[in-house]
Amino acid sequence: MSHARLRLNVLAAAMATLFLISSVAAQTLHMAPHEKYVLKNGLTVLLLEKHGVPMINVFAIVKTGAAADPAGQSGLASVTAGLLRKGTKARTAQQFAADLDYIGGEFDAEAGADFSSVSAEFLSKDLERGFAVFSDALLHPTFPQEEVDKLLAQSVDAVRGAKDDPQQVLGLYYDGYLYGTHPYGRPAGGDEASLPRIKRDTIVKFYETNYAPGNTLLAVAGEFNGPEMRKKLEEIFGAWPARAVAPAAIAAAPAVQGKRLLLVNKDDATQTYFAMGNVGIARNDPDRVAIRVVNTIFGGRFTSELNEALRVESGYTYGASSFFDARKAPGPFGIHSFTKNETTGPAIDLALQVLQKFRKDGVTDEQLKSAKSYIKGQFPPNIETSKQLAQIIAAYEFYGLGDDEINQLEARVDAVTPEMAKAVIQKHFPAENLVFVLIGKASAISGVAEKYAEKRDAKEIAAPGFWPPEK
Amino acid sequence: MNRIRWFCAATFLVLCLGVVALPARGQEFPVATKTLKNGMKVLVQTDHSIPNVALYIFYKIGSRNEGPGTTGISHFFEHMMFNGAKKYGPGELDKVMEANGGANNAYTTRDVTVYQDWFPRSALPLIYDIEADRIQNLSFDPAKIKSEREVVASERRLRTDNDNGGLLDEQLWATSYIAHPYQWPVVGWMSDIEHWTMEQLKHHFEMGYAPNNATMVVAGDVSAEEIFALCEKYIEPIPSHPSPPPVTTVEPEQLGERRLVVRKAAQLPLVLVGYHIPQSNNPDYYALNVLRTVLFQGESSRMYQRLVDKDQIALDVSSSVEPAFDPNIVEVVAQPKQGIDPEKCEKAMYEELERAKNAVISDTELEKAKNIRLAEFYREMRTINGRANTIGTYEVFFGDYRKLFDAAKNYSAVTKEDVQRVAKTYFGANNRTVATLIPENSEGKGKP
Repeated sequence: MSHARLRLNVLAAAMATLFLISSVAAQTLHMAPHEKYVLKNGLTVLLLEKHGVPMINVFAIVKTGAAADPAGQSGLASVTAGLLRKGTKARTAQQFAADLDYIGGEFDAEAGADFSSVSAEFLSKDLERGFAVFSDALLHPTFPQEEVDKLLAQSVDAVRGAKDDPQQVLGLYYDGYLYGTHPYGRPAGGDEASLPRIKRDTIVKFYETNYAPGNTLLAVAGEFNGPEMRKKLEEIFGAWPARAVAPAAIAAAPAVQGKRLLLVNKDDATQTYFAMGNVGIARNDPDRVAIRVVNTIFGGRFTSELNEALRVESGYTYGASSFFDARKAPGPFGIHSFTKNETTGPAIDLALQVLQKFRKDGVTDEQLKSAKSYIKGQFPPNIETSKQLAQIIAAYEFYGLGDDEINQLEARVDAVTPEMAKAVIQKHFPAENLVFVLIGKASAISGVAEKYAEKRDAKEIAAPGFWPPEK
Repeated sequence: MNRIRWFCAATFLVLCLGVVALPARGQEFPVATKTLKNGMKVLVQTDHSIPNVALYIFYKIGSRNEGPGTTGISHFFEHMMFNGAKKYGPGELDKVMEANGGANNAYTTRDVTVYQDWFPRSALPLIYDIEADRIQNLSFDPAKIKSEREVVASERRLRTDNDNGGLLDEQLWATSYIAHPYQWPVVGWMSDIEHWTMEQLKHHFEMGYAPNNATMVVAGDVSAEEIFALCEKYIEPIPSHPSPPPVTTVEPEQLGERRLVVRKAAQLPLVLVGYHIPQSNNPDYYALNVLRTVLFQGESSRMYQRLVDKDQIALDVSSSVEPAFDPNIVEVVAQPKQGIDPEKCEKAMYEELERAKNAVISDTELEKAKNIRLAEFYREMRTINGRANTIGTYEVFFGDYRKLFDAAKNYSAVTKEDVQRVAKTYFGANNRTVATLIPENSEGKGKP
C-alpha cells in the first residue's frame, strides 16, 4: 500500500468519526401496541392494529414443528401443513385456490424445526372472504388421499431438485451432520427415503393431535377495527373444539467434541460449498444480544472479519458469513462460504485463521461502536409491515420473549461492553470442537479435506437423504 | 447476511410477475421532483413511519451497452463502485456506512445499474458525500481490480455455472437474440471476466456514470426540501457529460422456432421457453400482464392446474418479464418431475396457450387478474424500499413515475379480447426459443 493511500485512509477515518458523532442522537425503537387474550377453548389471540396500508396479515403458530417428526418419517409436520389447503370440508384444493387467488390473497403453511405456521394475507376489504379461506384450511382440512399422494411425490422431487444446487442443501447436510439423530438433525421437509413412508393415517393423526386451540397462537395485524375483529375471531375460532395437547419438548443437544468432516460428492461442481461450526444458542439465551453484536463483527455484515478476509482481501469468494440459528433448544452456529475447487484449502484455512484470531484478539472499541450503530440503524425496516409484525408477536409469544426484545434492544445493545464481548467469544465461538461439511467435487478436494479432521465421512449427493445415512 | 451485489439473471426463478401494480383510486402519494442543473432527476417520497431512508440511484447503463470482449463489464463496474474513490478509499465506503448504521447493495440488469443505500436519517449527509465522491472520483487500483475479478468469477460460479436454472437462462437469451446485445449474460462470459482491461473499465465509467444519465429516488423519513438542498450541495456541482451512445441494433423478427439442449449432471430436467415481446413502455404491457397472471399466477392459474395438479408432470411453472428499454422476451419456466420427458411439459403448455388464443378468458379470470394486481401494488408500496424501487422503475422504464398511478386505469381498460389478441400476437411457435436441460448421470458423463 502506498503512502498516498494511507493518508487517504486516515482522512476518511477522520470523516467517519465526524459522521458518527452526528448519528449518536439515536431514535428509540418501540414495539407497536398490541393486545393479547385467550379464548375459552384455549386459543391465544394477539391483535395489532396498524393503519396506512389496507391489508390484513394472519399468522398462526401451531406449537409443534418438524422436531416432533418420528424418526424415519421426516417431513410429517411439513406435509401436514402443506396439505391444509388441499381439500377442506367446504372446498376442494381447486376451489380453495380459486377463492384465494380471486381476492389476490396469499396463503402459506409450513413446518420449521420448532413450530408449524399457517399464514394468510389479504386486503382489508376482503376480510370476510380472507378469513373464510384461512380458517377453512386451519380448522377443516380433510386430507384427500389423492392430494396426499400428489404432495408426497412432489416433495420427493423437490428434494432431488434442491440437490442440483449445492447452496440450497448445504444447511440440510450441515444440520444432519452436526445433530445426528437429535430432532434438529432431521430435514424439516423430509427426504427421498422418509417421505414415501408417510401414510395418510399418520398425517391425520398428527393434525388431530397437534392442531388444537390450546396449542395454537393466532396473531392478526393490519388495518381493521379492533372490536369488530375481536367479534369476528370469536365467531370463527370460538367454535374450535378444545383438546389437550402434550407440549412438545426438545432436549438440548450437547456440543460436538473434537473435529469431524463430511464430504458430499457432487462430481460436476466447479466450486466447493462449505460450512463449519457447532451447536450454538437457544432463542432465549441470556447472551443473545451480546452474541448479535459480536457476530455482526465476525460474520454478520459486509465488512465483517470473515467477509473482509475471504472476499474483500483475497477474492476467494463472493461471500463469507457466520450465523446463529437460535431455536427453542440450542440451534446451529456456523461459518459459511464457497470458493472454486482450486482454492478450497486456502479459503477454509483462512476462515479458520479468522476464527482463531477473533478468539485471540477479540474486538476493538471501534468495531464494537460500529456494530452497535449498524444493528440499531438497520433494525427499523424489520418492523415496518403488518406481515412482519404478525410474525414477530407470534414468535415472541412462542419463545417466551416480551416486547422488551424490541423496546429495550437499543439499551441492551449499548450495554454490551468489551468484557462481555470477550466472554461471549470464548464461550460461543468454538476453536477446537468443529464440524465441517463440504459439498464439492470429491476427486479434486478430498486430499485437501483430509487435514481438517481425523474422523471423516463421505456421501454421494444423489444418494437418498442427508445425514445420518439410512440404516 | 446480505448477499451483496447481485445481478438479475437469476431472478427468472422468482414467481413474482414483475413491476406491474395496480393502485386503487385515491391511493396516490405525493412525490416531489427536481431536475438538477447537471441533468440528474431527483424524486422524493416522504414517509415518517420509520426513522429510515431508502435511496436508489438508477444509472441507465447495463449489459446492453457492452460488446464482445467486454461482456459483464457493467456488472463488474457495479462492484468497483464500492472499491474506493478519492475521499473514501478502498474499503472505506462500506466501513463508514456501516459504522453509521447504513447498509448498501446494488444490482445490474441488461438495461440499468442500480445502487441502493438503506440508512437511519442521521446518516443523510454522509450518504450524499459518499455518492458524490464515487460518481466523480472513482479510483482504479490494479490490486482491487484483480481481487474483484475473482469475486465476480465466484458469483458467476454460484449463480450460473453451478445452478441449472441460471445456466439454462443464459443459453436461452444467447439463442433468443442473434443481433441485439440482450444476447449476452449480465454477469459476462467467464473468459471476458478474466480479460477486461483497465482502459475498458475507464472508458465504461466515463460513458455511463454521468449525472445526466442517472435518476435518484429517495423514500422515507426525509423532507423534499432537505434532499434538494443536499443534492444542490453534493451532486449538482458534478459536471454533466455525454450519455452512452444509443443502442441502434434492432433484433430482427424471429422466423421459426429455435431449440437448444444442455446436457449435464442433474437429477431433474428443466425447460425454459422465451417469446419475443415489445419493450416495457409498449401499450400491450398491461394486456400481457393480465394474460400472464391468468396463465401462471397462483395455484388456480391455468398452467398450474394443468401441469402440476391435473397432469402431475411438473413441480412448478411460472413466467417472468424484466423491465426493458428494448424489445424483450417473456420467459416461461417449467420444472418437470424426475423422469418426465420435458417435451411433455412443453406440449401441455402449448395446448394451454392455444386455448388462450382460441377463446377469450372468463369474466372471473379477468376480475381475478385485476384483483391480484391491486394486492401486488400494496405489497410493493408498503415499505420505503419497495416504493423507492417502484418509483424509480416507472420513471426510468416508462418515462414518468406518474405512470405508476395510471396503472389502475390501464389495467381497467384491458378487455378479454385484448388478452386474446396478445396471446395470438406473441405466443406463436415461430416466435419462441426452447431451452431444455437433459440430466446426464455420472455413468454417461462425457458422452454427447
